[in-house]
Amino acid sequence: MAAPAKPVDARDIEVLHRPNIASADIQLPAVRDYEQVDNEITATLSPTAAWYLGLATAVGFLVIGAAAWTYQIYSGLGVAGYNPPVMWGVYIITFVFWVGIGHAGTLISAILYLFRAGFRTTIYRCAEAMTVFAVMTAGLFPILHLGRPWKFFWLIPYPNWRYLWPNFKSPLVWDVFAILTYLTVSTTFLYVGLIPDIAVLRDREKNPIRRRIYAVLSLGWRNSDREWRHFARAYLFLAAFSTPLVLSVHSVVSFDFAMGLPPGWHTTIFPPYFVAGAIFSGIGMVFTIIIPLRKWFRLQHYVTLNHLDAAAKLCLFTSLVVGCAYMIEWFIAWYSGLQVEQDYFWNRIFGQWWWASVILYSCNMILPLSLFSQRLRRNTTWLFILSIFINIGMWFERFVIVIPSLSHEFEPWQWSGYRPTWVDYAILLGSFGWFSMWFLLFIKQFPVIAIAEVKEIVKPRLKRPHDQGIDMSGQHVAYERETPGEHE
Amino acid sequence: MRGVLGHFRELDTTVDAIEELKQGSFGPITVYSPTPRHELEHVIAAPPSSVRKFTLVGGLLGVTFGYWIAIWVSDYWPLVVGGKPIASWVPYTIIGFEVMVLVGALSTVAGMFINSRLPRVSMTVGYDPRFSHGDYGVWVECDPEDATKCEDLLRASGASEVRRER
Amino acid sequence: MTVQRRDFLKVLGVGTATATVGCGTGEVERLIPYLVSPDETVPGVSNYYATTCRECAAACGVLAETRDGRVIKVEGNPQHPLSRGAICARGQAAVQGLYNPDRFRGPMVRRNGTLERVTWEQALQLLAQKLGETRAGGRAASSVFINQHESGSFPGLLDAWLNAIGMPPHISFDTQSDFAAIAANRQSYGVAWPRYDFRAARVVVSFGADFLDSWGPSVSQQLDWADARADVAHAPRLIYVGPRRSLTGLNADEWIPCKPGSELAIARMLGGQASVADAATASGVPAAQLATLQRDFTSMRPNLALAGGTGPGAMQLALAVNALNAANVGATVNVAEAVTGYDGMDSPAVARAAIERMRAGGVPLMFVRGANPVHAFGKAAKVAEAIAKVPFKVSFSSVPDETTELCDLILPDNHSLESWGDAAPVRGTIGLQQPAMEPVFDTRATADVLLELARRSPSTAAQNPEPGYRNWLISRFPGGARALAAALQSGVAAGSMGARAERSGPAVAGSPDIGSTAGDMYLMLYQHPVLGDGRGANKPWLQELPDPVTKICWQTVAEIHPRAAERLGVENGDLLTVATAAGSLTLPALVYLGVRDDTVAISIGRGREFSGRYALAGVNALDLLPATSSDSSGALAYVSTKARVAKAGGHHELVTTEGSARQHGRGIARAVAAASLGQPYDPAPAAAHGADDGGHHEDGHVVPDMVGMASREFLPGLRAPVANDAQGDLGDPNSNDKGMYAPDHWSGMAKRRWAMTIDLARCTGCSACVTACYAENNIPTVGADWQNAKVFPDRTGFGANIIRSREMSWIRLERYFEGGEHGESDFETRFIPMMCQHCGNAPCEPVCPVYATYHAPDGLNVQVYNRCVGTRYCSNNCPYKVRYFNWFGYGEPNRPHYAFPEPLNWQLNPDVTVRGKGVMEKCTFCVQRIREAEHRASSEKRPLNADEFTVACAQACPSRAITFGDAADSAWSVTKLIDDERAYHVFDELNTYTAVVYLKKVNHPREGAATAGAPTGAGAAPQAVH
Repeated sequence: MAAPAKPVDARDIEVLHRPNIASADIQLPAVRDYEQVDNEITATLSPTAAWYLGLATAVGFLVIGAAAWTYQIYSGLGVAGYNPPVMWGVYIITFVFWVGIGHAGTLISAILYLFRAGFRTTIYRCAEAMTVFAVMTAGLFPILHLGRPWKFFWLIPYPNWRYLWPNFKSPLVWDVFAILTYLTVSTTFLYVGLIPDIAVLRDREKNPIRRRIYAVLSLGWRNSDREWRHFARAYLFLAAFSTPLVLSVHSVVSFDFAMGLPPGWHTTIFPPYFVAGAIFSGIGMVFTIIIPLRKWFRLQHYVTLNHLDAAAKLCLFTSLVVGCAYMIEWFIAWYSGLQVEQDYFWNRIFGQWWWASVILYSCNMILPLSLFSQRLRRNTTWLFILSIFINIGMWFERFVIVIPSLSHEFEPWQWSGYRPTWVDYAILLGSFGWFSMWFLLFIKQFPVIAIAEVKEIVKPRLKRPHDQGIDMSGQHVAYERETPGEHE
Repeated sequence: MRGVLGHFRELDTTVDAIEELKQGSFGPITVYSPTPRHELEHVIAAPPSSVRKFTLVGGLLGVTFGYWIAIWVSDYWPLVVGGKPIASWVPYTIIGFEVMVLVGALSTVAGMFINSRLPRVSMTVGYDPRFSHGDYGVWVECDPEDATKCEDLLRASGASEVRRER
Repeated sequence: MTVQRRDFLKVLGVGTATATVGCGTGEVERLIPYLVSPDETVPGVSNYYATTCRECAAACGVLAETRDGRVIKVEGNPQHPLSRGAICARGQAAVQGLYNPDRFRGPMVRRNGTLERVTWEQALQLLAQKLGETRAGGRAASSVFINQHESGSFPGLLDAWLNAIGMPPHISFDTQSDFAAIAANRQSYGVAWPRYDFRAARVVVSFGADFLDSWGPSVSQQLDWADARADVAHAPRLIYVGPRRSLTGLNADEWIPCKPGSELAIARMLGGQASVADAATASGVPAAQLATLQRDFTSMRPNLALAGGTGPGAMQLALAVNALNAANVGATVNVAEAVTGYDGMDSPAVARAAIERMRAGGVPLMFVRGANPVHAFGKAAKVAEAIAKVPFKVSFSSVPDETTELCDLILPDNHSLESWGDAAPVRGTIGLQQPAMEPVFDTRATADVLLELARRSPSTAAQNPEPGYRNWLISRFPGGARALAAALQSGVAAGSMGARAERSGPAVAGSPDIGSTAGDMYLMLYQHPVLGDGRGANKPWLQELPDPVTKICWQTVAEIHPRAAERLGVENGDLLTVATAAGSLTLPALVYLGVRDDTVAISIGRGREFSGRYALAGVNALDLLPATSSDSSGALAYVSTKARVAKAGGHHELVTTEGSARQHGRGIARAVAAASLGQPYDPAPAAAHGADDGGHHEDGHVVPDMVGMASREFLPGLRAPVANDAQGDLGDPNSNDKGMYAPDHWSGMAKRRWAMTIDLARCTGCSACVTACYAENNIPTVGADWQNAKVFPDRTGFGANIIRSREMSWIRLERYFEGGEHGESDFETRFIPMMCQHCGNAPCEPVCPVYATYHAPDGLNVQVYNRCVGTRYCSNNCPYKVRYFNWFGYGEPNRPHYAFPEPLNWQLNPDVTVRGKGVMEKCTFCVQRIREAEHRASSEKRPLNADEFTVACAQACPSRAITFGDAADSAWSVTKLIDDERAYHVFDELNTYTAVVYLKKVNHPREGAATAGAPTGAGAAPQAVH
């Protein structure tokens, strides 16, 4: 029954039968059996010239950023564009930006898992890796923007003979806890998910050294029913933990602002608003990464247009949530009757910072509306372009939150402007280099598509294809009704 | 450690074999599959995983520690900031929550490792790389006298290959 | 209230005087470390030496605070009739003159163009030889000695010395003082400068006289003025007549913007010599306004008129104004207590004549000391060429300047803080000057040099027996050494060291009328409020101190009216070209409401070439001054020509600390009309005097018992020593463990609540408090060219850091305008000093992740520099924006950003840390002074006395606007002020419970016209103010 493997293009599959996008169960018609999954996905691991080029570029950016930081540490933060009372600038903006990026990964890997959204299966590994590396990047910035970065550990509660402890009332300490927890948990989640796949690599690998390394990393996983049982349970609970965690992390990040007095910051809408924005920006980044990736790795028949289509709907939804939050902000500014708040909003939208607001609203509210069209949702080129706009727009959302508030506060005598310097830009560039470096290294060492989980939605090989009792569709019937999501 | 390993190429034959084995009185069965299939779980009918207990305990420990460290630290050296109470539980809830998630998640993973005997240093007998590729395996622990019977049973239910391990 | 303040001053005086017991006539102390320290010096404890400030001719008495043999601060002498414990910014900056890194290190001789260090012996020999040659040549009589004008007995010594070697008397040169007024006063009153008694006056009309700033003895005039205004019921109205609003103009209740030079016409009108119509046509002021002015001035007696014109007609104006005061002599013009500091000043015309003789080559030998004619007369006067013709030129100046640059021999004088001397502050009083420390460099007092030379030549040795100037003084001091020693305790003595002979200058034609000059706008040059004519230019404190009026620092700008800006098509910072017959300058425009739309105003004092590193900032506006601009008295006429003003194209960011000059209705600086004060309390202040509330928000619906709302019954944060708002749950009486926050804790800290009141009715905005804070708290100046990172290509140059608002001034003076935005000619100005408010519920505290800022039991908002990691969250959360961050290593000697180049660092206050790179800092309420006072009290086993000490800004304040004390102890005078009906908190709606209480400014609108003087565009519709 092993038919000759003829590569099937996802596109003519759709021509055959337009799938019902509404159902979360999206099949991989072009994937015939388990062996094909292994072969095609392990094939993506061999480094190519383009990959080396990309890695070199990423490291180059990283070096530029590192050099700028060294210069900044030596001469002081004054080399950055701070313009008191604008005491926070590009670094905090970029911090929030990267934390936000991370959130989509957890959403796709954990929340959609709990919701049994089938389209997550093929993109979740990519998204989860993006989460880990984005949080690693974000974690640098609170240290980067310190006046005395060499003292950053004073924010961490470590026992010391002077009994000097951090101030647990400070949102920045909440940040430390939230970010570190988030980094640990998402890294764990990523690794646990990787174990069976590493076992696959171990068993396929010819090179003895790499084989040895994979053997160690796979912890001697052997696909036994006992392992699978506990694995599925642990996976479920990790997802169950990650879900509230991801909501809390960006809420805590938003507290950095919401706990502050400046107009535009001191508002209760920030936690939900930030979480929605974070997921929105994260999905944008997922598109930015996955669309080129599926092309270069020839994985179009794994990450199908249906998957992208479904993700695009999620993107559209979060964009609508964010846009709603923007409008509520305006309304509150008007409705509160606080003149300081109103002056600030006027200055933010029509005054000093009109250009930033224009970028923000066009990228985050206007352009995503195009996703109402299925044709555009299924047009990878447009999705990619749009995702770039979303990334820019979400960076500027944080710009608009941080800068205009600080530059136009209670005390008119201290109103000011803000203009970043080359140091700010170099470090911003360096953060992209840092992120890309880790991601590029990852995709060539580990499968970017979860092999074991993809196999779950591939038809198993059967002796009696038409027997009852064996699930032919590959759809998943829960084993224990009372424990949903035991396995898909 | 002795027993018989049946190597299957199809899912349904594997399921058949397990059903057969369960009716016959043989030693404990271990099933290898490239991916978890509910059909297999169904026939194996193992008790639910006990990872949940680890999760619960870890989470409780975490939230307790989170609150405790924040409150103890504040009271150990009381400094007034912004006229707020020294030990203000509302903001400390954030600390408690984050530590709960951290400890809870880590203990969950620990529970998984302990329950499934990970990490294991060596592939025990009966494992075959193909089980991670596309094929299924059924490993039956049985005495040599039952071995032959077992082999026949596996073959009958469609094993592509059966071997005795000792 | 006034009585309270008097008591406060007395106590302060006693307190400080007791601290001055260390003074004596003994030898000057060496720099420590000591092995055996002299009994006067206790390491870590300050000695105060009463001496005299020589930064301007007024010669106020000051106390030089020395620590371990170094002067670290200069404060006003409470017992001195002029300063009365206060001091201006220039006076405090004297220490930066003392420790100026560009001072001459020792005597120097110019050999083929370059200056070379020589020993004093060589220098004296050279000088003696040159003197010998000149006298042998019989040309001594045509030699010239130009001395910076000073009162006291040195001029007498100098003239005697000159006379002995056959030289004519020296020229007492000073272009910083208003010589026209001095000459007129001599004619009218027989004294150079009477004391003006503002308290007696009902209306004061100032014709361009900036008496709060640089016109006359400003400190004593400010003290008098503030006391007069503080008595709200009988406060005089101030009407300012002049083309540009100076600091005094901004403090005026009414501004009459007249054409430059037309003040005389208005004065004549007030005197009845001219009709209102003529005055109106001459001055360009509506006749109606002049008519009201005339009615007010003539009806409200006693009145007072002051003349500060600096145009060709300045002398006539001064005479006319003195004529207006004829009836006021004895009432508002007090001749008996005349200020004698200006006695003996020569007309600049005398110096001009001497310079012309030099130009003719008739001067063999020139001495100059302190004076700087090359700079003072401007480039066009070509003084440098004239002086270059003198064969041998000797300078006694201790700092490099344009004149010294030409000299062949430099015998640097001691700084006044290193020298003996005396001054004549007011009639019948001797002000004493004693060295507060060993000379910093290898310098010698000129008097000693002269005596030394005299003793060397046999002919003059006889009449100069004294080994040094100190002995010379003792021998002439009434009562001798013992009396002098006694007098030095207080720094003043009754009597006189001999009167100065007045010398009438040559008759001067005076430059032609402005109207006849070419140009499209009047050019108004004026002396910089703190840099003067440039003498302060090399002191970073003064360069960094924002001009009280324009708020510009490190930069020279051309001030033009919004209408003029519109006409020229420029905005703030756009470059303008200003050209006169003398020269042309290109400098950024500053749009300023307080200048006529046909006038461009530029301050002089910056852009000096040879005066050190800091003086290079800005451009030198004197380059625009025509060659001979003077009035008939010979005084320099700064407003003597028109100029051609054109847009130059290009733009330079303004180096200003001003964000927005409007309050946007936020009620930061509030004012109240005098008439509405003293009325029964009304729960809704808006209804009573909200009209002047600067658009304060609670209008109409104040709920007095709502927490955080400021009202008379409830002053947040200042109610109890353990107010819950300040101590959290530890202040809760039911809480068992209160730690140091418990009132019965052994430290007793929680019994106190340090607080401050600032009376905006007194504050004149002079900014002396800012410099005091720089001096006391080691605040770095950041505006120098080399102090900014070279990462903004367009932001290099002086003030680059300040363009990025990175100034570090812990206390800043905000200058808010009210009204005038819709083209009204008149507008109101409100000055408000803003520093850390030490909130009871400080928003900055809870956000700090490392407890680097927390709330001390005595109400201080503490900043722990060593713990700060620099997240800057506290600054974001501070509504008052009073936290300042160290963007660079301003305190690290090995960096370009270093703010205290050797020996400026000698001035640093050892009680205060020099903050490192990357930490936040802010006003500490001078915590070092608080703790010092507490320790002194406890070591003397006594409680802290009320008003025993005060903070630096309050101590310096020349208008006594700032009062500091313990709000929890009713004995302190601050508690009385907190109860004043004008008291309010800034941003009280934020529930910050600030410890700084402001007292509303009091406006004095003209009776009948509610809007005059106090434009209540703010009042009519508070929310509408923007």
